[in-house]
Amino acid sequence: MERLYIKSEDWNGFIKGKLKENRIYVPIEKNNFLFYEILNEENCEKIIYDRARTIEPLKTFLYPFKEFVVPEIENIGEIIVMGVTSCDLQGLEILDSVFKEGDYKDLNYIKRRENLLIISFDCKEPYSSCFCNLVGVNPYPEKNFDLNLSKIENGFIVEIGSEKGKEFIGQDKRFYQVNQTQIKNLEEDRKKVIEKLEEINRNFDIKNFENLEGMYQKEYWEISDVKNCVSCGSCTFNCPTCVCFLLEDTSDNGNFKKVKVWDSCQFPGYAKMASGETPRPTLYDRYANRLLCKYWYMRKNFNTIGCTGCGRCISGCIGKIDKRKVLSEVLRKKIKV
Amino acid sequence: MDKNIYKPIKCEVIDNIKESPTINTIVLKPEKNFSFLAGQFASLTVPGIGEAPFTPSSSPFDKEKIEFTVMKTGRVTEKIHELKKGDIVGVRGPFGKPYPLEKFKGKEVLLVGGGVGLAPIRALFLALVETYTNYKRILFCCGARTPQDYIYKEMIFDKWQKLCEKIPLCFRITVDRKDENWKYMEGVVTVTLDNLDMDIKNSVAVVCGPPIMMKFTTLKLLEIGFTPENIYLSMERKMYCGIGHCRHCMIGELFVCKDGPVFTYQELKEKPNIWV
Repeated sequence: MERLYIKSEDWNGFIKGKLKENRIYVPIEKNNFLFYEILNEENCEKIIYDRARTIEPLKTFLYPFKEFVVPEIENIGEIIVMGVTSCDLQGLEILDSVFKEGDYKDLNYIKRRENLLIISFDCKEPYSSCFCNLVGVNPYPEKNFDLNLSKIENGFIVEIGSEKGKEFIGQDKRFYQVNQTQIKNLEEDRKKVIEKLEEINRNFDIKNFENLEGMYQKEYWEISDVKNCVSCGSCTFNCPTCVCFLLEDTSDNGNFKKVKVWDSCQFPGYAKMASGETPRPTLYDRYANRLLCKYWYMRKNFNTIGCTGCGRCISGCIGKIDKRKVLSEVLRKKIKV
Repeated sequence: MDKNIYKPIKCEVIDNIKESPTINTIVLKPEKNFSFLAGQFASLTVPGIGEAPFTPSSSPFDKEKIEFTVMKTGRVTEKIHELKKGDIVGVRGPFGKPYPLEKFKGKEVLLVGGGVGLAPIRALFLALVETYTNYKRILFCCGARTPQDYIYKEMIFDKWQKLCEKIPLCFRITVDRKDENWKYMEGVVTVTLDNLDMDIKNSVAVVCGPPIMMKFTTLKLLEIGFTPENIYLSMERKMYCGIGHCRHCMIGELFVCKDGPVFTYQELKEKPNIWV
């Protein structure tokens, strides 16, 4: 892929120049965390280029919490999202498989996906909850972006990931050919981030997650950490690949209207049928379902696991459950059995 | 442009028939052609109230109308029972995989239906009757709690039995608790499977009913020599989208809406909590 270099102040000028015609979302720091905000003249200098993932997963731009599916949404405008990290780009594999590439298409999703330009960033300072290295994802973008920005001294290495990305840069003279020293520096930087991740995750052993196949029995999952789950659904709503939703009917006078709203398999009523019965009656059944879905069902359904190692389910957990610890423990049990 | 899979077809209610104290059959005339195969399901929208999945109970060969037999169990089904002639509802579908009639060819087909589970079996039965020369014989075992709880009374106790004179078909009919006028068997539906006069090695069994009935019927079928590959179960889960997106209906890695709702016991036997 083609790589260019641009100086920091030139990039600021370049992106400010794009403000007039584009709706651009960027990561801005609030209370030590990164949240997406709409870019304007004022916050341009506050964009964080060298940290880690945002609080909101990328899916919020493609698959909003609540939206009409009947009638489908007409006016979906083009947006640019900056600061997407590798974990969320990996999440697109699942979202696309479900809503775009299956036998049935989700019209709103497809329109939003077509109208989205992604400018991703390298992850430079992973959080203690990050574990992409344990699930085969690198902390720097390798696919699914239009442009990727890697912060290096005084500027950025800009990798072009698509035709759309190339057009976005156009013939702008502020972009130069990148030189070998810059590439070498970047590679060293990236290696350091991986080392950081290895250090963060050295006590967790989840690499045999294929072994989860068949581990439905709640006896495996009855461990003290799981007991702290309060069924709040935070892990699912924050997850870049959790796609569950329910449909509400708001039709009137023969005009059909349907609303799609996120749902969570962690809610006790999620799978409850009209009879009042549910196939997952206990906390352990429900907790197990989420992890089995990520590491087993999605792998069977889409040929890729549903976990990208972003760690949002860990950092957002009210019960302070560390999924890595649970998985390590459950997989150890399997070996014993 | 792909079509919007969530948009229902408008249907007019042309009848709402009381089958039993808790079960009605609604008869719908779709605005445009709606065809399905026996075993597939559809989502029925009561405007402003909600949507719920049902397997049509009418013949797949009937192109004029569709029927759904619905037990009153919740918010949406209560409204379905209240629907009147001329009311408008919506139907989306059909979804899922049908009964594999190709695989039934040349075989004896055992149908076991209990309570409202007779609904999908009825669609299948009507399809089998339409193509009866393809099968060696049809044996239809029905069960309900009491004689009053039977649905399709006119058909089961009269019309369909008359077909036995014309095509290779027979019935075994039971109730859990009989009354003084009952002239058939007594006992839960598995009693109809005692002393089956069938070539089991060359037969398939289709089961639909409440979970507890499906469980004990399956165990009984295994006991009398059916293989898990030849037992077909019509599964029920909470289904919203019908297209494998919303993931509510999953049994393990299987989607009831897309990979089912008809499964062989072989496909399900290792899966968690299937008898719910």
